[in-house]
Amino acid sequence: MKCLVLVKHVPDSNSVFRLDSAGTWVDETNLSFTVNDFDRYALEELLKLKDAGTAQEVVALTVGPADAAAALRTCLATGADRAIHIKDEALAGSDPFVVARAIHAAIASEGFTLILGGLQAEDDNHTQVGGLVAGLLDWPFASAAVGLSLVDASTLRVDRELENNEIQVVDLTLPAVVTVQTGMNTPRYASLKGIMAAKKKPVATLALPDLGLAPKDVEAKLRTVSLAPPPKGKSAEILTGSPDEVAKALVSRIREKTGVL
Amino acid sequence: MAKVLILAEHDGKNLKEISFELLGIAHKVASGGPVKAVLLGEGVSELASKLAQRGASEVIHVEGPAVRHYTADGYRRALIPVLADESPDVVLIGHTPNGWDLAPLLAARFGAPAATGCSKIVLDNGKGRFTRKAFNGKFVHEIEIQSARPLIATVEKGASTPVEGAAPGTVRSVAASVAEGDLRTRHVDIKKAEASGLDLSQASIIVSAGRGIGAPEKLDVVRALAEALGGQLGASRAVTDAGWLPHEHQIGSSGVSVSPKLYVACGISGAIQHVVGMKSSSYIVAINKDADAPIFGVADVGVVGDLFEIVPALTKAVEEAKH
Repeated sequence: MKCLVLVKHVPDSNSVFRLDSAGTWVDETNLSFTVNDFDRYALEELLKLKDAGTAQEVVALTVGPADAAAALRTCLATGADRAIHIKDEALAGSDPFVVARAIHAAIASEGFTLILGGLQAEDDNHTQVGGLVAGLLDWPFASAAVGLSLVDASTLRVDRELENNEIQVVDLTLPAVVTVQTGMNTPRYASLKGIMAAKKKPVATLALPDLGLAPKDVEAKLRTVSLAPPPKGKSAEILTGSPDEVAKALVSRIREKTGVL
Repeated sequence: MAKVLILAEHDGKNLKEISFELLGIAHKVASGGPVKAVLLGEGVSELASKLAQRGASEVIHVEGPAVRHYTADGYRRALIPVLADESPDVVLIGHTPNGWDLAPLLAARFGAPAATGCSKIVLDNGKGRFTRKAFNGKFVHEIEIQSARPLIATVEKGASTPVEGAAPGTVRSVAASVAEGDLRTRHVDIKKAEASGLDLSQASIIVSAGRGIGAPEKLDVVRALAEALGGQLGASRAVTDAGWLPHEHQIGSSGVSVSPKLYVACGISGAIQHVVGMKSSSYIVAINKDADAPIFGVADVGVVGDLFEIVPALTKAVEEAKH
């Protein structure tokens, strides 16, 4: 079967973030970007299907500016066969629905059997592009997968992570869209051979006219008003001093407040 | 005034707390308008009656074999005609695993994005203004959605309190408009994630390690403190995802919720998924190199610094204090 992974090029979540001058997003200059962590697990799951001979082709797709091509190159170097980069100035400031709409238009005639993506993007945390794509395609959908297996040629079994250590096992009729949780597998890294091979793999760059969409079709309905540090509500008493000094102060706080020790 | 519809969540036996919280926030959003609830399920009419006592003027109880168990396809297809009939201004769903399924599926149907993980919702002339978090809780993200009806939002747990002393509402049963045989997502089972018998939920002292430990062999630093304090070793998702500790050590929304007398967070930034699982601890100590880490917003006392210097010093001080 033919499989697609949806990936996003995001700032490394370990970065120290500063706000941009407009106060509507983080200042992205000097940030290092990477493939969204959740999406790495989705790609690995498809590469496992390819290793097993179940998937014949694994395609990686992203929506984003020119820099986002780096995320696709990482996917190709890791083992994806080809890539699709949806890139158009009219998509700057897009919202999850617009992104899903562009993806839907790009893949409508591709004939994928399985589409995987990360549960959410580490930057905006919207948690909806996978489900929106499923909704637009009218395909079955499951979020928060921690396990996937094929029951037969037309049925995918998904372990969905619920709360309190519970898992729902659900069978989806293929074709289907699934978003995955982190930790479901151990994503492989690109080998040197993979990095070399990736240079010869095809990347299709598609703009709105290639998708049969006009700028008015991708007008965002969701707009950021502001991004700000969380309000300082209850705030910890911060201890300062040498490690030994703060350790002694912590021990006396712990003894006084908890009766432990 | 707005018409607000909430989606109740239950496990077949009990309503989940998020259902009551959704009714709470729904009343604020509706500002005097009607607040209704939809409850899907088989053999749960008692739950529908209970919900009608908690702030829903009407509970629309959708029954049928296709919604006996939660599935994205069954719920989606049963909900769409209800939404068409009711024509609410706002639909509120829990920011829960089932909400992550349903909100985008319904949003796709109505041609607009959803607002997810909201803690506050204000309506202004048909526009919705939503307060949520981005960058894993590092920032508060205010967004606006316009030209969408209904506005679909998922609400973070704990964002609102339930309604007190609500006037009792009515229950109306309707048959699910989808047949079980037509479902393309089929419930197989609910099972427990693998476990070795470790139960952190009852622990009175927990020392947890987060992404900040950097490498599995460095866990020993945190483990030594746990042992010195006579406590259990916990972890954030980053640590269990990396396979450095088994899943049952994971504290947070998808792991275990804990409320020990003492919780020590080492190298944990305090992502919302972790915080919901430990914020009811009686006394919280946080050690993190990033002064802006959200964990310092829930901790009682904190140290900004290198955990590999602070934690061994603390272990030593604890050992000395015991003598």
